[in-house]
Amino acid sequence: MVSPYLLHLLVFVAFPVIFSFILMFHRWNIISSMEFVGLRNFVVLFQDRLFFTAIYNTLIFLLIHIPLQIAVALLLAEMLNQQIRFRAFFRAAYFLPVVISGVVVTIVWQQLYGFDMGLINRILTGLGLSRVGWLTDPNIAMPSIALMATWKNVGLYVVLFLVGLQGVPEHFYEAADIDGASHWQKFIYITLPAIKPTIFMVVVLSTLGGFSLFIEPYIMTGGGPMNSTISAMLYIYKQGFTFYHMGYAASLGFFFAAIIMLVVVIQKKLIDRE
Amino acid sequence: MVRSGIELGVILLTVCISFSACGRVDDQNRSYFLYWSANNPYEIEFADFVVKAWNQKNPAIPVRFQPVPEGRSSEEFILAAVVGKTTPDFYSNMWQGDVESYARAKVLVALDTLDGFLQTISQRCDSTTIAEITSSDGHIYQIPWKINPIMLLYNKKEMASIGFEEPPATYSEYLEAAERFCKDFNGDGYFDRWIGYSEVLVTWLQRFFDFYPLYLAASGGGKLVEGSKVMFVNDAAIKSLAFLQKLYARNYFSKEILSARQDVFLSSVIATRFTGPWEIIHAEKFKPAGFEYDFCPLPIPDDFQGNRYTYGDPKNIVIFNTCRDPQAAWEFLAFIINRENDLKFLEITTQLPRRKNIFSDPYYSDYFKKNQKMIPFARQSRFVRGTDVSPVLKEVFDIISQEYEFCVVHNKKSPEQAVADAAQAVQLILE
Repeated sequence: MVSPYLLHLLVFVAFPVIFSFILMFHRWNIISSMEFVGLRNFVVLFQDRLFFTAIYNTLIFLLIHIPLQIAVALLLAEMLNQQIRFRAFFRAAYFLPVVISGVVVTIVWQQLYGFDMGLINRILTGLGLSRVGWLTDPNIAMPSIALMATWKNVGLYVVLFLVGLQGVPEHFYEAADIDGASHWQKFIYITLPAIKPTIFMVVVLSTLGGFSLFIEPYIMTGGGPMNSTISAMLYIYKQGFTFYHMGYAASLGFFFAAIIMLVVVIQKKLIDRE
Repeated sequence: MVRSGIELGVILLTVCISFSACGRVDDQNRSYFLYWSANNPYEIEFADFVVKAWNQKNPAIPVRFQPVPEGRSSEEFILAAVVGKTTPDFYSNMWQGDVESYARAKVLVALDTLDGFLQTISQRCDSTTIAEITSSDGHIYQIPWKINPIMLLYNKKEMASIGFEEPPATYSEYLEAAERFCKDFNGDGYFDRWIGYSEVLVTWLQRFFDFYPLYLAASGGGKLVEGSKVMFVNDAAIKSLAFLQKLYARNYFSKEILSARQDVFLSSVIATRFTGPWEIIHAEKFKPAGFEYDFCPLPIPDDFQGNRYTYGDPKNIVIFNTCRDPQAAWEFLAFIINRENDLKFLEITTQLPRRKNIFSDPYYSDYFKKNQKMIPFARQSRFVRGTDVSPVLKEVFDIISQEYEFCVVHNKKSPEQAVADAAQAVQLILE
């Protein structure tokens, strides 16, 4: 029964990886024959300021998105773990955005974020406040995307945290109650240490998801304003499938994969040390 | 045994699914020509008509057509077909800017080597058009087929209400119209209606609907690049950027991204738009009662003298090198672009055939009498340009688009600086 999986792995994973590795040392625009260029793609890469801007933007996205996602997901999971009314409804409601197409969500938020006609700015001006360039101000566009991505994905992490929270033995809390611990103290000293494996998993999944940021800037901003939302994935896509610089795109892809691996390893070491 | 059967089935299914996307669309040894048309309903209708008419008259050279398969864009699908060697014999919706790359990759047939091609093309097109479509190696790989000139669409009643019985013709007039039209109705300090709108996205092809046609208008049809030379370091580029910059700086253009919104032109939220004849079908279908609109040439710098050019958004016909008999294929293509079929194309699609003197040719006069909205486009068709011959055209437009965003949309650079920076970056890639 392993054969179909092996075949799938060979065709869709091993072959593209090996082919991309070969491509790194070539110039190829798909329609012409490949030209061996040695390490030239990497020479260009290290001089490509826009690629490093794209990596910087991606890291900014992660710095906003991961803490926000963990905080909101944990808060919601904690609330949904209580005996509240309509608990099943709320659990389903928070999970709903996860199953909606990313493109649809992005287009809806694009309209909400509109500067002149968007609902959010209409409300702000209705309250006598100034409009915000959610997607047109270079300082705000990436946080706006991070906020939207959090709304879209938080339901998944709520479910993961719920599973983690339900695995914390009840007698820990009973003992803390006897000792007179506050709700906050129980959360800090019992809940958080107990769900550390879940937190690690959420951090890693959020990091990997965050590094693959693509649909949101692709649809909402095209990488603008002034390159403030161009993500590494969007830049690699643009090099590969807009300009057909396949060899260069492969080099960017491998370089970026190495950065992702490095970040995940560092994350693991930090959490292990904790 | 049963388990082995299931395993085999799963393997076969996986193989089929895995390789179905790579499979050949058609057998290259087919006994007919395969023609891919654009996949909009009007061009499908035209292709169906013209193929039936041909097959009736020429059963010995049968042609079958199919719309280019649906994808994110037809350009991507054509590329995939070229790579997979599943191209049709000919394709009628090729963006002119892509032809040079395909020609250099030797996947297109040099049409000027076919009997009768040059004679037909020189009867149909003027020398400027022929020069524009000639590749860097001196051969012609495309038939200039259709254009959709970018013009100024304007709301007649709204413009009249602000004192413009005639649409604004110059930058000053357009800015004056903008000042009169843009209004803050609810007193919140922001305009609620704008003179116009253009996508603020930095995506390279958006510049075909703002900077590039205005640059062509301001330069009398100037080039952006020629060979390895940058050609846009001039007053025309600076003036057109400065004009657009003023529109955004004064909030006369909305910075909204409107992709999924109600039509802002038909709802009178904006009064003008830089657009093509495809708006006619849309406007006639959805315009509110009493709504009046028309088209006119794009605004030009106040001191400009000369012909008012614009971007023609040309789409052309090519023969792929997978075609077994290009000479016979050309006979069919010559049939597609003859006078009668050009008229049929115009009637069905509301797109202009790229034919010289189409407006003054009496053969088409009945059509224009019945379709008054197309007259401005027919008049403009004498002064349209496509794209320059360059294999790195998308990169050129991408660089211009980046500078456009900094300069026009965000006012972070002067037009002079933006032009200089764009020229420097473009020069690097041309070298």
